[in-house]
Amino acid sequence: MSTRKRRSIFDVVNEYFESLEEMAEVLEKKLTERPSWNHKTCTIEPLRNIMITPMEVIVTVDLPYTNENAIQVKSLDKSTIEISANMRQKIRFDDFGITHYKGEFQKLYCHTRIPVPVDMDKMEIRFKKGILEIRLPRRHGYAIPKE
Amino acid sequence: MSEEVKIIDKGKVPSDATMLFGFPDVGLVGVIAASHIISELNLAEVAYMDSKLLPPLIVLHEGLPHSPVRIFGNHNILLAVSETAIPADIIYPIMNALISWGKSKNVKMMISLSGIPIQDRQDIQELKVFAAASNLETLKMVKEKGIEILNEGYMVGPQAIMLQHCANIGLKALTLLGQCFLNYPDPEAAAEVLKELAHITGIKVDVSKLLEKGEEIRLKARDIMKRTQQELTKMKKTQEYDIPLYVS
Repeated sequence: MSTRKRRSIFDVVNEYFESLEEMAEVLEKKLTERPSWNHKTCTIEPLRNIMITPMEVIVTVDLPYTNENAIQVKSLDKSTIEISANMRQKIRFDDFGITHYKGEFQKLYCHTRIPVPVDMDKMEIRFKKGILEIRLPRRHGYAIPKE
Repeated sequence: MSEEVKIIDKGKVPSDATMLFGFPDVGLVGVIAASHIISELNLAEVAYMDSKLLPPLIVLHEGLPHSPVRIFGNHNILLAVSETAIPADIIYPIMNALISWGKSKNVKMMISLSGIPIQDRQDIQELKVFAAASNLETLKMVKEKGIEILNEGYMVGPQAIMLQHCANIGLKALTLLGQCFLNYPDPEAAAEVLKELAHITGIKVDVSKLLEKGEEIRLKARDIMKRTQQELTKMKKTQEYDIPLYVS
């Protein structure tokens, strides 16, 4: 006999809206290109990647010019994490040979949405060779046991 | 050369040179390696690509316009490099035009510098470099140098087109693939590929500066990496992970 846990209608509606938000975010990224830096907040957006495995979600972020103790990872809600890292040195547009923009950057910053339910409280973090790795165990809504 | 892709000579082009390719791909290994060769060996621009197939962009250097796809060289090296991600749907005409141009200059060998992604790359201390060749003679030469051969599998991207096209026209060609990050710029992998390039061809480049500037390169290369990633998705780069069904 199946022992599937029933989810409340509110959970189903919440998930539906979350997936809509996620789709809107993906669409927005596709339709509106923007620079990978923000001179008002003095931040540069780092490259990142999300891998979903059966048991966990692994987020990696490339953080050059950063030390481990300068990195902050926060969960903003149950499906979004924010990553910020102070750089060891300020980077100016001039450093890239660019003279038509002005500004300097001292932080790498991004936030990323996790596409499947995860347990934020069990987040594990490590930093190696300039790559931040965040491991989040997946939270499965229901289990269908074997008969 | 096709009408839609023209390569215009700008300087003296040597004959019997080794022609290298550094195009945006996984870990930007080829582009990083190519940029380092250009600066270390002080290569001059000898030709550039003119094509309406390319995205409508120019690269400005010191206020002057340049094609994003250019060929640099000295007396014995030609190096084709792209400063922009090549759209997946124009890789064939772009590569075919470059190979035809190289053949018209009697290049003795073509070598593509590239990467092969590996999981948990940050945990790997010693990066391997693999090779694949356009014919048995070149493959034998590489094996004798002790480089591991990419025996079975799929290859996707400019280097794949280069190998196949060179095999078709009987030109010696080689692809060197350094283990690297899939979607983060990887200067260490580029350094390993350059070491093997020196081992095979004698084209020696000091990689110490490349390694010193690793963080700077990773920061600078974010945008081109991001755009390359988008093109890699379009060309189904992950097919390289597939297990091939061998048909004899």
